[in-house]
Amino acid sequence: MKLQGVSTLFTSSFADFKRDKVRTALTSLGIMIGVLSVVLLIALGLGLKNYIQNQFESLGANLVMILPGSGFSGGRGPAGLAGGAEFDEKDVRSVEKVPNIKYVVPVYIHSSVITTADKEISGSIMGANEEIFSLINIDVQTGELWKKTDVEKKAKVAVLGNTLAQDLYGNPSDALGKTIRVGGMRIKVIGIANKIGNQERDGAAFIPYTTTFGSMNPKKTFFAIYLGIADKESVTTVKSEVEKTLLKRYDKDRFSVTEQSEILSTVDQIFGILNIFLVAIGSISLMVGGIGIMNIMYATVTERTREVGIRRALGATTRDILLQFLTESTMLSLFGGIVGLIVAWIIVLIVRNWFPVALNLFAVILAIGVSSGIGIFFGVFPAKKAADLSPMEAIRYE
Amino acid sequence: MSSIISLKHLYKEYQLGDGSVFTALRDINLDIHEGEFSAIVGPSGSGKSTLMHMIGLLDKPSRGEIIINSRDVSTIDDNQTSTLRNSYVGFVFQQFNLLNKLTVQENILLPATYSRRNLDFDPIARSEMLMEKFGIISKKDSYPNRISGGQQQRVAVARALIMKPQLILADEPTGNLDHKTGNEIIDLFEELNKSEGITLIMVTHERELAERTRRQIRVLDGEVISDKKK
Repeated sequence: MKLQGVSTLFTSSFADFKRDKVRTALTSLGIMIGVLSVVLLIALGLGLKNYIQNQFESLGANLVMILPGSGFSGGRGPAGLAGGAEFDEKDVRSVEKVPNIKYVVPVYIHSSVITTADKEISGSIMGANEEIFSLINIDVQTGELWKKTDVEKKAKVAVLGNTLAQDLYGNPSDALGKTIRVGGMRIKVIGIANKIGNQERDGAAFIPYTTTFGSMNPKKTFFAIYLGIADKESVTTVKSEVEKTLLKRYDKDRFSVTEQSEILSTVDQIFGILNIFLVAIGSISLMVGGIGIMNIMYATVTERTREVGIRRALGATTRDILLQFLTESTMLSLFGGIVGLIVAWIIVLIVRNWFPVALNLFAVILAIGVSSGIGIFFGVFPAKKAADLSPMEAIRYE
Repeated sequence: MSSIISLKHLYKEYQLGDGSVFTALRDINLDIHEGEFSAIVGPSGSGKSTLMHMIGLLDKPSRGEIIINSRDVSTIDDNQTSTLRNSYVGFVFQQFNLLNKLTVQENILLPATYSRRNLDFDPIARSEMLMEKFGIISKKDSYPNRISGGQQQRVAVARALIMKPQLILADEPTGNLDHKTGNEIIDLFEELNKSEGITLIMVTHERELAERTRRQIRVLDGEVISDKKK
């Protein structure tokens, strides 16, 4: 009959922990905090990534965006407006000539104070043509969408995003038929959009782009032009055709023609790097936690010199002693890691109500792997010290 | 009688800080036979504890041979030494050396957890038999710091016997006990020796205790100066 084995090592470690609960808890605390911070930072990074991806994904498939500046395409020069082209109706007309494009939507975005009879909040105004609704899959919950004729008539009508309607009137449907004021303009709410889960869309007021021409948009320009491509296969051809068309008017680096998948992969790249940074920062606390364990284990070895001597006298090999101390440090570390993971998980579940943080398998494996790795790595030196004690001297140790 | 351990020309030397050499044991030649109850006696510093550590394989000699079962074990590696310590010798120490975080029974079973061979007996049943025999069965689940010194030393003796060793080594086994309890432990040793033929070596500086054994090995300044058998 052979009693020595993994289970004996575990039971003996547990017995030690049980006898000194405070020390066990304090030792694990360092690892717990380390794992907690690493996992939370990963969750935050993933959350940010999800949030931004979600914003782009809800734009719909086969979407190509004409943006000012070098945009997301990774070229030199500033992304965004600075130095970029300001598109106008002439651009819209020339782009419309490119074949295989289903929708051409000029987009004017304006942050503004929106006033109702008894409220005043800041929101965003999105000026576009009627194709925007088909392009980004917006339908009404109540009321109706404005039409091509409204664009032609510069009608002062709006379709409110669900969240905006709710913020303004409490119950979204109550907004129907009301009048909102934007700048000096009075606009009638004729429809409330379905909630689509994209904060930017849900919080915007959609009005015909022509309606913005005036005090709001005196230069009659657009921030971007969105294109809905008829089928996926023609996306590349359309992109190069559109670029060719626009190059007649603008320099190469004053605009960019980007498809959504490119943006998504850029976002993916940026957040990949961000995540590495976050993990690196969190790892510092894991390291400190590991050193804490090493400290305690060293102290434990001295404290338990006599125990080591007794065990050696009774037949324990240096390997048995090494394994015993390693098991203890690994279990301490793993214990801290698992508790840290559970706490992180709870925090993620709570924070999820406000922000799309997420835990993935990678974070879990990393937390468990790293904490047991730390236990082994920082446990080796004290364990070696214990194992190398001469049995005779250890047993005489007072 | 066959000898279970023979020491041949055994030396133990220590290098001192100033470069000189201190000889703790000098040319020790000793045979311990099966069934003997011996005492190693001598004043403190005489080398008797060092001698015991050699016999118990807790320390390695500088020179000379330790022969167990006709095999020189003075140069075997740590693994083999540990295995041999585990199966061939049982220790009883002055400070009892029980682990306070383990129960009485777990302490007694500790050597069995380090056994690398298949035991031909059930250690749990054997531990219960030993506790029964030594009158400590009621303390089975107690922790050592909750029982008396005499009981602790009985636990230590039971632990020394659990692996059915060929030899019990007792280092000042009565040192931490009062006179009466000390005598009881020696009674126990005598009984184990007589009725079960267990070989015992006891290190002591108490003449009275030594008188109760059948062989007295006197050590002084690292040398055996007399070896009397009754």
